[in-house]
Amino acid sequence: MDVFLGSMPDVLATTIRMTVPLLFVALGELFSERAGLVNIGLDGLMTIGAFTGFVVGYQTGNLWLGVLCGAVAGIAVNLIYAFCTVSLRVDQTVTGMAINILAPGIATFAYKVIFGDGSTLVQGTTMDKLAIPGLSAIPFVGDILFNQTLLAYLAYIAVPLCWFYFARTRGGLNFRSVGENPQAAETLGIDAIKTKYLASIVCGALAGIGGAFLTLCYTSTYATGVVAGRGFIALAAVIFGRWSSVGILGATLLFGFFDAVQIALQVSAPTVPYQFFAMIPYVFTIVALFFFNAQKGGPKANGKPYFREER
Amino acid sequence: MEEMLRMEGISKRFGTFYANRGVNLDIRRGEVHTLLGENGAGKSTLMNILIGLYQPTEGKIFMGGEEVHITSPAVAVEHGIGMVHQHFMLIEAMTGFENIILGSKVNPSALIEEAKDKKAIMELADRYGLEVDLDLPVSEMSIGMQQRVEILKVLYRGAELLILDEPTAVLTDQEVEGLFEILKSLTDEGKSVIFISHKMREVTRISNRVTVLRAGESVETLEMADTNGQELSDLMIGHHYVESTYKKVDGGKPVLEIKDVSYHPAEKHGGLKNVDLTVHAGEIVGIAGIDGNGQSQLAALVAGLIAPESGEVWRNGEKVAVFSPEDFIDQGLGNIPEDRNKMGLVGDMTVAQNLILKETESDRFSFGHGLWLKSKAIQEFADAKREQNDIRCTSVNQTARSLSGGNQQKVILARELDGDPEVLIAVYPTRGLDIGATNFIHDSIVAQRDKGCAVLLISADFDEVLKLSDHIAVLFEGEIMGQYSGENPPIDQISLAMAGK
Repeated sequence: MDVFLGSMPDVLATTIRMTVPLLFVALGELFSERAGLVNIGLDGLMTIGAFTGFVVGYQTGNLWLGVLCGAVAGIAVNLIYAFCTVSLRVDQTVTGMAINILAPGIATFAYKVIFGDGSTLVQGTTMDKLAIPGLSAIPFVGDILFNQTLLAYLAYIAVPLCWFYFARTRGGLNFRSVGENPQAAETLGIDAIKTKYLASIVCGALAGIGGAFLTLCYTSTYATGVVAGRGFIALAAVIFGRWSSVGILGATLLFGFFDAVQIALQVSAPTVPYQFFAMIPYVFTIVALFFFNAQKGGPKANGKPYFREER
Repeated sequence: MEEMLRMEGISKRFGTFYANRGVNLDIRRGEVHTLLGENGAGKSTLMNILIGLYQPTEGKIFMGGEEVHITSPAVAVEHGIGMVHQHFMLIEAMTGFENIILGSKVNPSALIEEAKDKKAIMELADRYGLEVDLDLPVSEMSIGMQQRVEILKVLYRGAELLILDEPTAVLTDQEVEGLFEILKSLTDEGKSVIFISHKMREVTRISNRVTVLRAGESVETLEMADTNGQELSDLMIGHHYVESTYKKVDGGKPVLEIKDVSYHPAEKHGGLKNVDLTVHAGEIVGIAGIDGNGQSQLAALVAGLIAPESGEVWRNGEKVAVFSPEDFIDQGLGNIPEDRNKMGLVGDMTVAQNLILKETESDRFSFGHGLWLKSKAIQEFADAKREQNDIRCTSVNQTARSLSGGNQQKVILARELDGDPEVLIAVYPTRGLDIGATNFIHDSIVAQRDKGCAVLLISADFDEVLKLSDHIAVLFEGEIMGQYSGENPPIDQISLAMAGK
């Protein structure tokens, strides 16, 4: 236990880092659900982002190009989701599940095509940390908060930006109306279909970036299962964060903390099977949702297909 | 008076069916112009053309003497046309203010300028006497205030011509008075109103002129001063309309007694509070009241779908111990539920299947208590009911969904009245039906009463309650506000009770 407490600054710094992918993806899901699309395909989108980000980063040596391509790949896959659920009005859950099965399949296949069927993982590089001058020198807090990768800072900056967009701009207000009552939105000249596609593009991009963060800032390699259900944790974080960006920040920090704790415990207690600790974030997710009434507070038309009135 | 809008020879064809054919309509500045017609007469189609949702197959539209092409709802807004829909187009989770500015380009700023926009809205509200609380979420507003938000929404976008689709359907009498005052202040300022309604009492009061639509065509436009309700009804249905009247009777022994029943009494819209009500054999007890004051819960209670939290229900002098729909049906209960599509019929099943849904386990329609259905008996039964109730369909084997509302209701009626139930619940039995179907439903209910059935009629249509009921009770926020005789009922007093006074 002493070892564990001694590693507290480490755990907190890891918390800040492990929150980043969850935060990106959960914010993406926020856009999706605000337009009435419950996208449970986040895990798949992250996988495709993680894979594309890794491959492009590895091949070109430009990790930022990797992040960008991860976002584009996320968008591309999520447009399949958007076409099915918005244009064809297929059930959102079924489509999301299909994405979750399709995306890792594509990733594994492409990995073997590119790197062959060898058993050793190809090692790439990870992004350098960017210590913010001055701030990072603050004792204790400085190293935890201000010695992260640039991508991590961007994730946290996105939180107030999302808040501002939804709470203070006309565009954000119009956007939200689509998730609440698309029929009413359309009578006011808001294009619900366009908004839903836009939401899917934003969601795909953010989920792709969240995935790319895993391979470009965390593991430095791509392995099947690298996402490890983080998409579903992000989904829970949106509910837990009450569909607000600030709430989502709180929720993902909490989930990120449990992720960091399990990493620290794995290191400090090597005699215990690591799977036992790896379980912690997921158990906590279930416990959190158990004590939370998920029915209340969400966008009203969430998950429902929208039919433009036709005759 | 100056002309504002003229629609000339408007036709709209869907496939081979003309929803509008050669319709003419002209609206003057500063008038309330009623569009009168039965369901399917083409009112909605015509208005959808006017607000740019449909394009006319033929015909021209002029605004202020100049021809316009209303190609989208946005264009309609540019021409100053705005519509208040029958089913409000509001976002419940947002405030009144947010709903009003939603999607509007009146203020082009990308950011929401709350102070500035609110000032503009409040000026409009004061000018036309529209009392609203802009900061209240719509979900917490009364229906009347929600409607005022809708009107403000349209005015904020600069509407000169307001279309109000059945605006009084959801309002209390007091709220209707308030709405009429608003309409008057609008027309005083030179705005025009197209009023869509079939409540003759209101039409004759508020309109300057009336255009009657029948079967997709405009029959005539009349000055209200030169006509009356009877003439308008005749024009609307195309032949002389005789309103049926029913004799009021006294009931026999008490069949259904509700004693001090409460169910979620803290809820104003969706609970029951200390309800005492008795329905006797051979009488119709009508429950008057505005929608959402506990009517659904009362119906569910009597149908055995919910059990009271406190209080008792007695049936033929015996206390009901178990609340189960099946037991209630076995004891002789007919139920015409409030939503025929959701609760009354299984839309994808055939008419015949829907007709026997209550008796799938009886020996009449199956062997071995539902093990094997007797298809021939079912077919014969369905054909007989179709004949008897004048259910218009090509075959009893078509899906219930494909029938018109009136015919769907006839299917439900046929099923629920089969075997002459001892108790009949009829909830909004004629909602959305035309005059012909309404009369049929009314005749059937009264005939059932005359056979000795105890009828509980729940309706938001006050005129319907007055017409059919032998005894009237008013439900407001889950409480019985008063009980009155159906013979020469004190209408003013009942209206006040419906508003909780």
